[in-house]
Amino acid sequence: MIGEFIDGPLWYISSIVFVVAVVWRIIVILSFGRKKNLAKPRYSAGGGAMATILRRFFPYREFYEVSKFRIVAGYMFHIGLFALLFFAVPHIEFITSISGLSWAAMPHWAFILAAELSFFGLMYLFVFRLTNPVTRMLTTRGEYLGSVLVFVVMLTGCLALGRSHEFLRLFHLLSVELLLLYMPFSSLMHAFTFPFSRGFTGAVYHRRGLNI
Amino acid sequence: MAIDMNMFHGFIGQLGQLGKMAQPTDYPDDERVTRAKDVFGNRIGAEQAGDMEACVHCGLCAEACHFRVMTGNPKYTPARKFELIRRYYRREKGPFKWLYQLFTRDITAQDLMDWQELVYDSCTTCGRCSMICPMGINIAELVTITRAGLANAGLIPADLRAVQQEQQAYGTVFGAGPDALKLAVERMAEQGVEIPLDKDKADYLVITSVIDILLFNDTLMGTARVFNKLGLDWTIHTCAFEGANFGMLAGASTTQEKASLAIIDQAVKIGASAVIVPECGHAYPALRWAGANIYGQRLPFDVFTISELLAIQLKQGNLKLKQNPDLNITYHDPCKVGRYSGVIDEPRSVLQALGGRFTETPAHGKMNWCCGGGAGVFVINSATELRRKAFDKKIEEVDQTGADTVVMACGSCRMNFLRGSVDAKWDKNIVSMVAMVSENLA
Repeated sequence: MIGEFIDGPLWYISSIVFVVAVVWRIIVILSFGRKKNLAKPRYSAGGGAMATILRRFFPYREFYEVSKFRIVAGYMFHIGLFALLFFAVPHIEFITSISGLSWAAMPHWAFILAAELSFFGLMYLFVFRLTNPVTRMLTTRGEYLGSVLVFVVMLTGCLALGRSHEFLRLFHLLSVELLLLYMPFSSLMHAFTFPFSRGFTGAVYHRRGLNI
Repeated sequence: MAIDMNMFHGFIGQLGQLGKMAQPTDYPDDERVTRAKDVFGNRIGAEQAGDMEACVHCGLCAEACHFRVMTGNPKYTPARKFELIRRYYRREKGPFKWLYQLFTRDITAQDLMDWQELVYDSCTTCGRCSMICPMGINIAELVTITRAGLANAGLIPADLRAVQQEQQAYGTVFGAGPDALKLAVERMAEQGVEIPLDKDKADYLVITSVIDILLFNDTLMGTARVFNKLGLDWTIHTCAFEGANFGMLAGASTTQEKASLAIIDQAVKIGASAVIVPECGHAYPALRWAGANIYGQRLPFDVFTISELLAIQLKQGNLKLKQNPDLNITYHDPCKVGRYSGVIDEPRSVLQALGGRFTETPAHGKMNWCCGGGAGVFVINSATELRRKAFDKKIEEVDQTGADTVVMACGSCRMNFLRGSVDAKWDKNIVSMVAMVSENLA
């Protein structure tokens, strides 16, 4: 009964809420518009936007020394999560079942590596948030909740990998559905909003002659 | 031309009395909040919304801020400085405002007062935090808007407010009006340097700043020497000479507009092809980047900061410099000219043309550490200790170059360097770029 609910209505509800809320959030951001800048530009705004969106995947050398562990942990978590999400066999099978699309999955050893990287990265960043005076001051309960939800999703995903028990799969799916319901309302939305902040700032600076 | 240190100390002493001259700007608490929100609401566009939506509180910006790094106090973390406007945005403008109104409290007059220190005393809007932010958030812009909100709520710090109010009422800064300019010009004429005042027509309208008139005469004189040597058709106008814009610094838009329009209108009137902005960091973006938006159309003239003009003239072969092998210098990038406005290579090309030893600080160009005095912080007395600590970072940086002279192209930076060096008993020469160039004209 609960399994049918998780597999059926809750999946559809959470997916719809996710899509609608993400789209709504982006529409509202863009709806505020940009004031026309009349100053004579040095360089194009568009070029700067694209450059900064890509450039910010890599930190500046000047800041590496003071933030290297966080940077490395961030890479581990994000790259690991990306690999798990899009290249784990069950995920590809799931996407194929609903869309017909398919692509090559990563081997089991790569799954284990990606999982270890992302778990370690997430846990490091979580502990850092709790113990560093700056992040402890800044971090909201919502952000802790987001981290916990992602952790639970990853953990249940690993538990369900062997497909030994149906309830493990359902447990994983339930945690994903909770994450889908929560994500659009939280700072986890940076997964979708980062191109806007990077792009806008890159455009502003490039107009003034600087590639950032 | 050396700086008269007695004059300097007298000037600093006067800065200490500024707050007493400020007119009160008291409003009932509710009105303060409403006035701040009016500004927040009007100034938040897609760029700011995108920024506020993207912050994940990673705290990396804390590593880029001189006030946070040098005090060790987490409250000065740049991301915290825009939390007030972010709270307003989420509750009253954002996509899920109905939700945030359930879980977050409204901003209060006390919040606005608490943020005064965060956005005025401990932020020079230098923008270094945006260089480290993985989301690329333009934090300085959010702080600037918060300043504007506080300004509209009557919460500009008294020292800064006194200068802004003076500029609003009389168009002058620190009491230096046309008479002070004429006196400075006469003094320079006695030393053989002519400054053409109030020409009806000229190719170049040169503006200056109160600091150069009252204190750093070598900068104004150096500018005149360079222009005269180049044989340019230029003038300074007694009715539009002040480049410093305390409206911009304080967040008071009416004062900012008035100060900028005075220059723009005069430049149009005399048919100038370019306005040359002096060694005053914020005066350049005030005109170069904000000017057209205030004027309502693209400016019918170019705007160059003095270091830009020097580089152009050097490249064109018009500016000839003597090689000076004894120089042992480094350059301090004023935030508003360098990181904010992209004028980074130009001053270096000029300084390297002087010969001698030029050494960069470890962080330079767009990564440069601010001196701690920008965006009006140099006149805010409650920021004295913060400013001093922030300047220690600059000392660390410069000391690593082994240079005996720090060159800069910003009067506020120079003022802050001089104050900092006196306090720290730091024995570097702190010189104006255009003054140094003028002493080495071939």
